[in-house]
Amino acid sequence: MARPASRATPLGVPLGVPLGVPLGVPLAPPHASVIHRWQRGVSVREVPLVTPWFLLFAGFFVVGTAIAAFRLFGGSLASFAAMTDVYAWGVWKTFNVMALTALGSSALAVGLAAWVLGRHRLHSVMRTALVTSFLFYTTALLGLLTDVGRPWNFWNLLLPWRWNTESALWEVALAMPVYCALFLLYENGPMVVEKLWNARSDRVRGWVRTWHPRIRKTYPFVVPFAYVLPIIHQSSLGGLMVLAGHKVHPLWQTDLLPLLYLVQALICGFGSVIVVLMTSCLVWRRPLDVKVLGELANLMSWTTLGWLVLRLGDVVVRGRVGDALAMDAFGVLFLAETAAVAVPALVLRSAHLRETPRALYTMALLACLGGIAYRFIPTTLAYAPGAGSTYFPAVPEIVITLGLVATVVGAFSLVVKRFAVLPAPLESWHHAVEHDSHAHPSHRSDAHGHAVHD
Amino acid sequence: MILLSRRHLLRTVGTGLSTAAVGGAAAVAAAPAALAAPRTAPADAVGMLYDTTKCIGCKACVAECAKVNDLVPDTELSGGLWQMPADLNTQTKNIIKLWADPATGQTSFVKRQCMHCVDPACVSGCPFNALQKGALGIVGWDGARCIGCRYCEVSCPFEIPKFEWKKFNPKIVKCELCRHVLDRDGQPGCTRVCPTGAVVFGRRTDLLADAKARVAAHPGTYHLDHVYGETEAGGTQVLYLSHVPFEKLGLPALPDRSVPTGLRHGGVALKLIALPVVLYGVFLGFFRRNWKVHEEEAARLKAEKGLEEQL
Repeated sequence: MARPASRATPLGVPLGVPLGVPLGVPLAPPHASVIHRWQRGVSVREVPLVTPWFLLFAGFFVVGTAIAAFRLFGGSLASFAAMTDVYAWGVWKTFNVMALTALGSSALAVGLAAWVLGRHRLHSVMRTALVTSFLFYTTALLGLLTDVGRPWNFWNLLLPWRWNTESALWEVALAMPVYCALFLLYENGPMVVEKLWNARSDRVRGWVRTWHPRIRKTYPFVVPFAYVLPIIHQSSLGGLMVLAGHKVHPLWQTDLLPLLYLVQALICGFGSVIVVLMTSCLVWRRPLDVKVLGELANLMSWTTLGWLVLRLGDVVVRGRVGDALAMDAFGVLFLAETAAVAVPALVLRSAHLRETPRALYTMALLACLGGIAYRFIPTTLAYAPGAGSTYFPAVPEIVITLGLVATVVGAFSLVVKRFAVLPAPLESWHHAVEHDSHAHPSHRSDAHGHAVHD
Repeated sequence: MILLSRRHLLRTVGTGLSTAAVGGAAAVAAAPAALAAPRTAPADAVGMLYDTTKCIGCKACVAECAKVNDLVPDTELSGGLWQMPADLNTQTKNIIKLWADPATGQTSFVKRQCMHCVDPACVSGCPFNALQKGALGIVGWDGARCIGCRYCEVSCPFEIPKFEWKKFNPKIVKCELCRHVLDRDGQPGCTRVCPTGAVVFGRRTDLLADAKARVAAHPGTYHLDHVYGETEAGGTQVLYLSHVPFEKLGLPALPDRSVPTGLRHGGVALKLIALPVVLYGVFLGFFRRNWKVHEEEAARLKAEKGLEEQL
């Protein structure tokens, strides 16, 4: 990994935060919170754009995309996938779309917390959540495009009289591209506009002067709808399996699936933004703001406890406790999946552990895995049990799925190096602007052309 | 933290609540849809009645089905010699299977094809109405609308629709009750050639009466004295009489309420109009309130540090 052994940090203090801190030792004591306060998105400047790790992810992206293109433009599904008429949905749908868009719900979860519930501290991580969401959704849509057998008929989306408004899949097929292409792009817009301003071209700045106020003026009216849309389609993803009726194991099949999928999306949304932030801070040596992370963890924990009440209450009310404790494959799967969600929720009730990086990182990761498991299992492992047919993804399926995940990671690393995404203390921004100013001595100004007061 | 005046707070939250009220009104208007009644078969619904006690397993129906539907007979298992499908597949819309219990020596044939449900899950889930219940209640497929998502395969409780996995332009293949020749022949190929009357074609109401008459005439012959398809999954237009348990023939025990009926609780208007409007209204109210806070913080940031806020 191309990382200088030592370098000046914006504040002249060591910013690296090792995760190898023993559990129970808070990394940042309260009196240090002035230093470790995330206030503003600042791009990662100290690291080159292309690193060996980036090349690895780019390689997965190229191979995955090439195979997906072969499938899309010249091959039957049979030559690329192990799906059958019984297991008609493979990992592209069940993992990339149904499971991973839960991680991509960070924009929904953090957005609701920051803008609706008024957790103003979380505004500093909003951009990280938005970029994460956009990348998970984009790759999910690419997976969906590779998966469908007759993609050319997607133009039916433009013919409202052909819509089946009763179908959960119609909601997903319509709302997911609209959310991703319109609303997530719009929400990510200010970050791009800010970058354009920094390009210091008069023509571009004229354009920015026109469009930036328009974005700001429409923002409070557009963004609430960006929370309505994913609420609808994330619950519809759960509704998909309800229609499969008796083919889904009774421990998972319930009329509450839409609600459980939705709330799980919020949990995974908080979890993924914690994991993304902490991983980024570890890789790019950023300071951690344990107050912000702790607040995210607190919200995740409470949401999970609410989810557990629904999940376990549903199992009890439907009289399936016996199945849950049967200690057969499905019972064990249920217990493991529930534990992976419940343990982080309970551990993170401790304010002390919420602000302990190592515990927080482990627990957020576990919650994400549990959430992905919950949303994946009804589609595959607990689907059509005993149907006499099996499904294990074929190599091209796995390569494309991994390629899509690698695309998320690789593209994220590109975006945070070019755009002011990852949160940092305010002083880092001045440093970043100074950096730009040295390149252009005639322009000593900040992102919007105002003189910088050091 | 900037504190809002009480009046300001009331006004901004009021905006949201009034928007929400519009959605609430829509919800009330949609209330009748909230009590989704189970769907019933159209008056002219046609179907088939299959009776295991009459079937001799000659498979004339299987051969005729392929002929009428222009399907290349599946000869894979026989090494290319004769039609010998292992199960329903993209070359086989109709099949005769044999169930045998070595312990008791009990056997039964079963004919499998699309059940033409009264309230089909495949139709309910199909995103662009490629699968629809058409004339006579027949579930037909329209290639111009199908995106090849295979949700019909996932949702069908009987595992009927098959997908042409090996083709670049794949179709969904399943029995459509020979709707393309009904005008000419008056019935599907399978019922026309059946030598024993094991499978007959007719109006669903007539078939159901016929089936019940057979049960009454031969008490104890048929499993549970029950006509499979009368109530299963909300009812099907293909009905079965069997002398062995239905599960043995691959006909699962299903609740009387169709799965789509359960999903219709609340209604589309409530789900797609009222709920989004209410949510939008509530979010808008809180968003605008917090936007003010954000704006004031932004102004302070600009005054103190000379920095534009970031969205």
